[in-house]
Amino acid sequence: MERWDKIIIGAGLYGLYAALFAGRRGERVLVLEGEDAPFRRATYINQARVHMGYHYPRSYSTAIKSAGYFDRFNRDFGFCVHSAFDQVYATSAAFSWTDGTQFRSFCRAAGIRCDPVPESRYFNPGMCDGAFLTQEYTYDAHILRDWFLEQLKECSRVTLRWSCPVTGLSREDRVYRVTAGEGEQFESDFVLNATYASTNQIIRQALGQEEAFGIKYELCEIILCTVDKPLADTGITVMDGPFFSIMPFGKTGLHSLTSVTFTPHMASFDSLPRFPCQERSGGHCSPERLGSCDTCPARPETAWSYMSSLARKYLRPEFGFHYQGSLFSMKPILKASEIDDSRPTVIRVHTRQPALVSVLSGKINTVYDLDGVLKGEF
Amino acid sequence: MKESNFVSAVVYVRQCQDTVGPFLTRLHAALSENFQKFELICVNDASTDGSVQAVREFAEHSEGAMVSILNMSYPQGLEASMNAGVDLAIGDFVFEFDGTEMDYEPRLVMEVYRTALTGFDIVSATPNGRARLTSRLFYRVFNRYANIQYQLETERFRVLSRRAINRVHAMSRTIPYRKALYANCGLKMERLRYDPVGGGGRPRAEGGRSRLATDALVLFTNVAYRLALWLAVVMMALTLIVTGYTVVIYLSGSPVEGWTTTMLFLGFGFFGMFAILTLVLKYLSLLVELTFRRQRYVFESIEKISK
Repeated sequence: MERWDKIIIGAGLYGLYAALFAGRRGERVLVLEGEDAPFRRATYINQARVHMGYHYPRSYSTAIKSAGYFDRFNRDFGFCVHSAFDQVYATSAAFSWTDGTQFRSFCRAAGIRCDPVPESRYFNPGMCDGAFLTQEYTYDAHILRDWFLEQLKECSRVTLRWSCPVTGLSREDRVYRVTAGEGEQFESDFVLNATYASTNQIIRQALGQEEAFGIKYELCEIILCTVDKPLADTGITVMDGPFFSIMPFGKTGLHSLTSVTFTPHMASFDSLPRFPCQERSGGHCSPERLGSCDTCPARPETAWSYMSSLARKYLRPEFGFHYQGSLFSMKPILKASEIDDSRPTVIRVHTRQPALVSVLSGKINTVYDLDGVLKGEF
Repeated sequence: MKESNFVSAVVYVRQCQDTVGPFLTRLHAALSENFQKFELICVNDASTDGSVQAVREFAEHSEGAMVSILNMSYPQGLEASMNAGVDLAIGDFVFEFDGTEMDYEPRLVMEVYRTALTGFDIVSATPNGRARLTSRLFYRVFNRYANIQYQLETERFRVLSRRAINRVHAMSRTIPYRKALYANCGLKMERLRYDPVGGGGRPRAEGGRSRLATDALVLFTNVAYRLALWLAVVMMALTLIVTGYTVVIYLSGSPVEGWTTTMLFLGFGFFGMFAILTLVLKYLSLLVELTFRRQRYVFESIEKISK
């Protein structure tokens, strides 16, 4: 039985950040990842937004926090950040929960950039009642991944294991025992559960249903597009309602297209992700062990025709975009955050000695929230 | 070969629990036979009967239907509700169904759409036969006095191109009466006539349409203006007569008589002034409504039903 200072489950951004943080402190760290490589799911498959807080005009606290970490993230990870484009936020004239004036006063209060531009520059007449140039960037998950792998090479006491899914987690007096891969067992008095959509599946193995997060699951599609020249250096987000966003996807040269109504294909309100497509996945995915939606044989059909129609309805014809491909991933959403639109980063310390800590966050730049628990401050 | 254009169908749903289910079923069959992708938007104008349940039931039982229900907060009438529905629609072409009585064959829907493809931005379907007396009267007055490109008539449903919707939004901030604005937007319009089928009869009258009719006449026709002008002319004539009469009395040298005439004149003068003022006020109130009313409608929620 191998003993480790820390065992980290999940090699997304939060997992590798924690591994590097602890590794640089000289700790002996084991990272267990079910996929054959890091950053295969949510860290890669999302809008790749480095949030400044604009997204949450109805949750001031989320906005302030995002803005606070924005600069730090760009300082630390600037090499993977694409910032040389115009990020336009607009408020729809119909069906928005926020209008242009409210958005401006929100930005002023949060202290973030918001310069009005004429709506007619981007949108069809009458569609939007406010358009603003903002400061918001996008990160490239693959560049970020390679950087992490490079840095982790220098930490000789950190071991990374791919294709090594966790199948068991139990508490043995002063340690947690993790069973993974082909029945190998590992022990540590600190386990970090950074598995995002699989978080409840891990928690339940050790602690049962009571400790699970109150979340719902959405199977989400991100569409990648090639874009015409006018849109090349522009990101556009029509926000707060049944709208859409089309913005650069890291440094890939592609844009991501998402919409509030059509990006989520299916939802599950169970504590574990339970979807009808799991039966058709041929053992790839189950409520107990979530497979990657992106490589799933039962992957849904694209919603491109819906999302593109929605975006074309708003955008002037010269801002053309064309289908390139789709990425699918599972997104857990805290049930408490539905009404006020907040997306808090939750770090839950389930037990202290031995420690089992779960982190659940939908944003990349709040990764620094982990520093405290990694230093043992809990 | 199915059409690759994305179409939206906006359906007005108000107290029609018996008709909405069969209507959606027939409409869905016609659309799914001909289009690769489409959406149905049911605007529920605060129905208090089982209409919404009927829509939900339809959505749950039909394969591959993308159905949204737009629930209005309180009854706001056909015009505001349909405007809300069209605002939500994302199609390249948008069908507007003003009611759920289907007194036509479902294939008429496709005929209307195909006519649009031949170069018309707005195509509507009009039943042959005599409309209600009040409707006939309204359209007669409207068409006679409105300075617009196309004649208005009773319509069951129509299809609009995205271009037409954008044009109408660019022309006017509020859309008090859709048909008049569509007819006035300068794009090509066509009308298909059909013989009503089935014993459904003509759709029942809807409350609140008489106010809309008055507003539409005042806004889009010059009836009110002509009335005011006519009154002004009559008053001028009266003024002239009274002036002449006063002169005659003056020449005949009887001042008491002159005083009476002045009073009469003032009486008539003020009467006319008030008449004109009334009309001016009507204009002003409409202008205020058009310019300053910010929210065109108040909606409660949008439900998306899909599988």
